[in-house]
This record gives sequence, C-alpha cells and structure tokens, in this order.
Amino acid sequence: MSWLFKSKQVNLAVLVFFFLVGFVPYFFLMPQVDDAVNKLSLIAATTGQFTVAIAIYSQWRRSLRFIKEKRKGWAYHIYLLALMSGMTFIGFAWGKSHAAYIWLTSAIVTPLSSVAYGILAFYMFSALARAFRARSLKAAFLIVSGCIVLLYQAPLTGAYFPGIESYAVFLTDNFGMSLSRMFSIAIIIGGIILNIRMLTGRELAFLGFAREES
Amino acid sequence: MGQKEFSLLKLMATYDKRWIYLLLFIIVLGPMVQPIGMPIAVSALTRNYYEKIMGLKAGDIVLDCWSTEWSGYMELKPGFLASHKMFIKEGVKLAIALGHPEGIPLVHTVFDEELKSYMEKYDYEYMKDYIILGFVFPNVAATIAAASDFHAAVKVDWMGTSIEGTFLDNVHTGADWTMIADFTTGAGNPGLVDHIVLRFGTPMISHDIGVMLPGMLANLDAGLYVAGLASTRGGAELEYLISEPGPGLIMMDSFTIGHYMLIIFIIIGNIGYFGWTSRTREREKTAIK
Amino acid sequence: MPKPLFDIRGIPSGRFLGLVLVIMIAVLAIRQMRKKELPFIRRVAAIDAIDDAVGRSTEMGRPVLVSYGIGDFSYSLIAALSILGHVSRICADTDTRLIVPTGGGHTSYLARELAVDIVRTQYVLAGKPEMFREDDMPFLSGEQYSYTAGYVGILVREHPGSVIMTGSHASEAMNIAETANLVGAITITSGTYVSNMAALACASDYIMLMDEQPAAGAYLSKDREQLATIRVQDIYKVLAMTLVVVGLILLNVFGSGFFLDLLST
Repeated sequence: MSWLFKSKQVNLAVLVFFFLVGFVPYFFLMPQVDDAVNKLSLIAATTGQFTVAIAIYSQWRRSLRFIKEKRKGWAYHIYLLALMSGMTFIGFAWGKSHAAYIWLTSAIVTPLSSVAYGILAFYMFSALARAFRARSLKAAFLIVSGCIVLLYQAPLTGAYFPGIESYAVFLTDNFGMSLSRMFSIAIIIGGIILNIRMLTGRELAFLGFAREES
Repeated sequence: MGQKEFSLLKLMATYDKRWIYLLLFIIVLGPMVQPIGMPIAVSALTRNYYEKIMGLKAGDIVLDCWSTEWSGYMELKPGFLASHKMFIKEGVKLAIALGHPEGIPLVHTVFDEELKSYMEKYDYEYMKDYIILGFVFPNVAATIAAASDFHAAVKVDWMGTSIEGTFLDNVHTGADWTMIADFTTGAGNPGLVDHIVLRFGTPMISHDIGVMLPGMLANLDAGLYVAGLASTRGGAELEYLISEPGPGLIMMDSFTIGHYMLIIFIIIGNIGYFGWTSRTREREKTAIK
Repeated sequence: MPKPLFDIRGIPSGRFLGLVLVIMIAVLAIRQMRKKELPFIRRVAAIDAIDDAVGRSTEMGRPVLVSYGIGDFSYSLIAALSILGHVSRICADTDTRLIVPTGGGHTSYLARELAVDIVRTQYVLAGKPEMFREDDMPFLSGEQYSYTAGYVGILVREHPGSVIMTGSHASEAMNIAETANLVGAITITSGTYVSNMAALACASDYIMLMDEQPAAGAYLSKDREQLATIRVQDIYKVLAMTLVVVGLILLNVFGSGFFLDLLST
C-alpha cells in the first residue's frame, strides 16, 4: 500500500484533481461542486494549523540541547520551556478565558510582542538617518520626496500648511501605488506559473520528491 | 603630540547611532507624559472612512475581521477602538472573525476592558449585538468555505455556543454581509477580497498599518475597498471626527515631533556627508603618496 | 463604473478575461519550458555581492547566515532555495560554517525539509558530508516575531560575517538587518514585500529588488522551469505596460472607457 503514497503519478493525479475542484468552480458556475469545495477548504484549513505542534516539538528538542550543553544563553531556554509548557497546560486545562491564561498573555506575551514591533521604529529611524545621502541627483530627488511625505505625515504640518497634502498624495498615489501594483502583477504571475510547474510535474519538491531527484 | 581639533562636520558625519535611539526615546516619551496639544488636520482618506461607517444603519451586519497580532494592534489601536465605537453607537451588528491566533486574548482586552463602559452606555450585548466567532479565518481556504456557505463553515462562537437563533441566521453567503471591516497588519486575509468582495460585491473597508498604505491605496483606487484608514494617524483623525479623544490623539504630539526629528537628522547627516565624509575621501584620493 | 463588455452563460460576470489570461500564461509557460534553448538572463549583480560576502566571512573566520523567507510555498521561495544551494556549495568548498535559521510562517516547516535536503546535498557533492550539521538549521518557530527573536539571538551569539536574507520576509527583516549591521555583518536582502522595501534598502548593504531575486535564483540554478518563469513574467509585464499606455490614450485622448470595460469582462 505504501507504493500508493510514494508514487509520483498518484500524487500528481490527486493534486490535479483537487486543483480542478477549486479552480473550475471559480471560473464556471457549478453549484453542485460548491459543497465539496467548502468541505475540502475546511480540511485544508484545519490541517495547516498542526504546524504549531511541530514548532513546539522542535523548540523542545533545540532548547534541551542548549541546556544540556550549557551553551551561551542556556538559562533563557529554561525560562522559555517553562513559559511555553505553562501556557499550553493552562490553555488546555482551564481554557483561554481563564484569568491565568489572560494574565500570561497580558503580562508576558503582549509586552514582548509589542516591543519586538516597537523596536522597528528605532531601527527604521537610524537606518533612514544613516542611509539618506544625496550622493547623486536621483538620491537627492528621493530625499526631497521622502521629506515631503514625512512632513505631510506629521499631523501638525497639515494643520498649518494644508497645501502639502496634494503634493504628498501625488507622490504616494503615483509612485507608491503604482509600485505596489507592479509588485502584485509580478507576484501573481509568478504564483500562477509555479502552480503550472507543479501541475505539469516539473516542480515536485513540495511533494517530497526532491530527494529522489537529487 | 597636538590635540585633535573638534570638528562639528565630523561629528555630524560620524556620531554614534545610539544617540539617535536615546533622543528618539526622550522625544517620543516627553509629549506622552506632558501633552502639548498640537492641532491636527483630517485627511480626505479618513473622512471617506468616517462617512462610510456613518452610512451604516442599526441592524446592519458587519463581518469584523481582526487579522492582527498584538504587535500590530499597538499601531492600529486608535483606529480600531474609534471604528468599533462608531459601530456600537450606530447599532451595527458585528461578527468578529479572527485571522491570527494572537487575536484571542485581544478580544478580551478590547471588549472586557477598552470598550466595556462604551458598550454599557449603548446597551450593546453579546449574542444580541455582537458575536465572537473566534479564529475561523486562519487561511484563504477557510474564508472560501465561509463565503460560500457560512453556516456550514461556522456553527458555533468561540466558546462553543451555537449561533443559531442569533442575527447571523440572516447570513448565508458572502453577499449577506452589509460590509466587511478588516483590521490588518498585512498578514491579513487575501481571501476576503478575492472570494467575498470580487465574488459578491460586498463593500469592504480596511484599517492598515502605515507601511501597508501603498497596497491599500491600490485596492481603494481599484474599487476593491470603499474606504481605508491608515495607521495611528488615521485613527487619531477618526477619534477627532467622532469627538472621542483616545490613544491616537495622545500620540500625535510624539508622532509630529518624531517625524520632524527624522528630517532634522537626515539634514544633519547630509551636511556631515558633504562637509566631512566626501571631502575626506577627496583628500585621500588626491593626497601625495 | 466600468461594465463588462459581454457576459457568457455559465461563467460568473467579470471572470472571463481572467480565465483567458490564466490560460495564456499556462500556454506560454509550457512553451517556454519545452524550448531546447535556455532563455537568456543577465548575471544579476547581486550574485557577485553574495560571492564577495561569503568570501569575506571565510577570511574573517566567521559563519555565514542565510535565510530563505517566512512566506508560503511560492516562486520566491524556490528562487531563495536556489541561492541557498549556491551559498551552501561555496561554504562546503571553503569550510565555512553555514547557519540557516528556519521557520517564521505557518507553512515554513514544509520549506525546511527542502532546505535541509538542499544543503545536505551540496555538502555531499563537495565531498564533505561530515561537515553538514542539521543543528545549524534550527526550526525557531512558526510565528513571525518568535522566529525574529531567535534569529536575532543567533546573530548576537554567533557574530556572522555575512547575512543573506532571500525569499519573502515581512517586517522582521528590518529587525534582522539592523541587528546584522550592529554585529558588523554584511547584509544582502531581497525586497519581495513592497511595504518594507524602502526600509530594507536603507538598512542593507545590498538589496535585490523584487524580481532580481528570482532572476538570481534562476541564473544560479540554471533550472529551465525557473528561467521560463522569469521569461513569461517579462512577457506579461510588457503586455501590462502596453495595455496601460493604450488604455491611457483611449481614456484621456478619445474619452473612451472601452479598456476599462474590457478589463472588467
């Protein structure tokens, strides 16, 4: 029976079938298939969440190795494992609405998560202050445009110089937005072609056949 | 050996960037401790967002998607709270669907702490006016399922209570939502646009973080969104419009000063570069060896 | 408001053109992949930067850190894995330690298996299978900022000579790039996420903008399929530019909304 799961052709056939089940009803009206598509979508959604279990297992393995070998920073791994286990236990035993779980989230997870994001402001600030140099005409234009947008973003400027909004919006709409659209086009086309490569059997890595190929 | 001469230009070119961190910290913290009360101007973007929410009527059902984790919530908080205050005041029914697991404790913070008194003021009750569906949109596949047949995909709220007999009985597909409100840090759900907005024409508003602005404007310009709100500043403007001062307006003084400080540092850096760094390079290049 | 030019029975309104475009992409892609001659792609300047960065790490006796992104399985990830393969080959040949932090996204464990295979294969091909250490490819977390915290920890402990961040990175790239700068590493990043590209351009020593990274990956791997992807993307970009120009002329000069209606079909 294991030949069934190891067969490239069977895997590809399953892939093509489920692709058609999802793709065809989007472009052609087929209400009969909708129910099946919904159920498949739910199964895919549920399965994808099991990476959390893999992450927990992997972290335990790594942390225990750090602690055993007393590598630099090993004490922090004890704290990490204790917190991870404690939160998992409390969540399963008493539910996500229990005061202990909420406290762990509010007192530990929230500040850590906020700090990791908040630090970005300092990093961006120093990177911009360091890197914005008018070494060429193009760089000078970039700095001027950047300063206009920065000035507009500061709420006080708009209150006293409302005319700056039109310049800043011009820059954001015509350059920022068009760049964003160009990116979207490139990403979407790349994604479609990758799917075609998978469906035609030219990209098998994600099915686990890379080992055989190499 | 002679003393090294102090050079202001050299200092401007070579200062330690940790001074920037310290100065930024002080300058941002100061106005939050002692607010200055600088005026702000409301942008057309925020005004449009405000008008779209004001256009909702009591009893309209909004799919309220929180595709943000804790870190992003800090930036979205002013607009988040201001938008929900508007929903509550207008009597709009909300179905809160989370797109990130960190949204679960966020629900407690928002409804049990931040908005509790506001909800009591307008008699806004759970199961009657709002339902928390939980982490039901982990990915696009789940969104497709809910868009096609809502009650097949979602049967209970986040605590396992059946949603039968509530206002959600009137929602069967994506077409039955009056509006979708998405609060996202960019990790959000493309399925909402692809499989609800494009498929059913349901209007959608979005509150994004600042760096997502170009993408949001592209969607707004294409008609995929009917309104958008950008970052903390948009939230502060919305607070101003609804006359409910909150964390956004408090932050705007720091916001303004921080932006001006960045421009000043860019100017300082360029003066240092042209006054010191490029001259030093020129000297080294042309020196007699 | 644009109106579709026509509706076809059995096809939902507004999806016909999309179907045609997808079919065209499929046909073009398959034709390109079947051609005997490999499509030409110029050598992206970033490849030299990567080689120099790895060389610098070897001279300094410091490890090389490579990451392939936190996003879903995409063509950007495939390209990033090609670059990972190239870097791991150089590291294997020069006995330089290679560290590859993995994780960051909900589907990142799938990509990790591929990455481990690729790196192990390169060490085997270099004749040094004993040098491959899976411990140097830790799975940090499936969550973005937990992954960032682990990554930054590795940077601060290991002090790499170079940090190469390819693939799809979101806001954590800024954290990583600045910390890499702090520990004195050369940073080479790829900007596949429009929102953080500007900041990354300031924070990195070298940045590959948008399609430069898949192009670099395709060039290094000489993989027919990746090269075909780049070629078809280029064809579609030219098509998009032509449509934009023609549409602008029609709308602004002749006042015709035909193109808007056509694109809504």
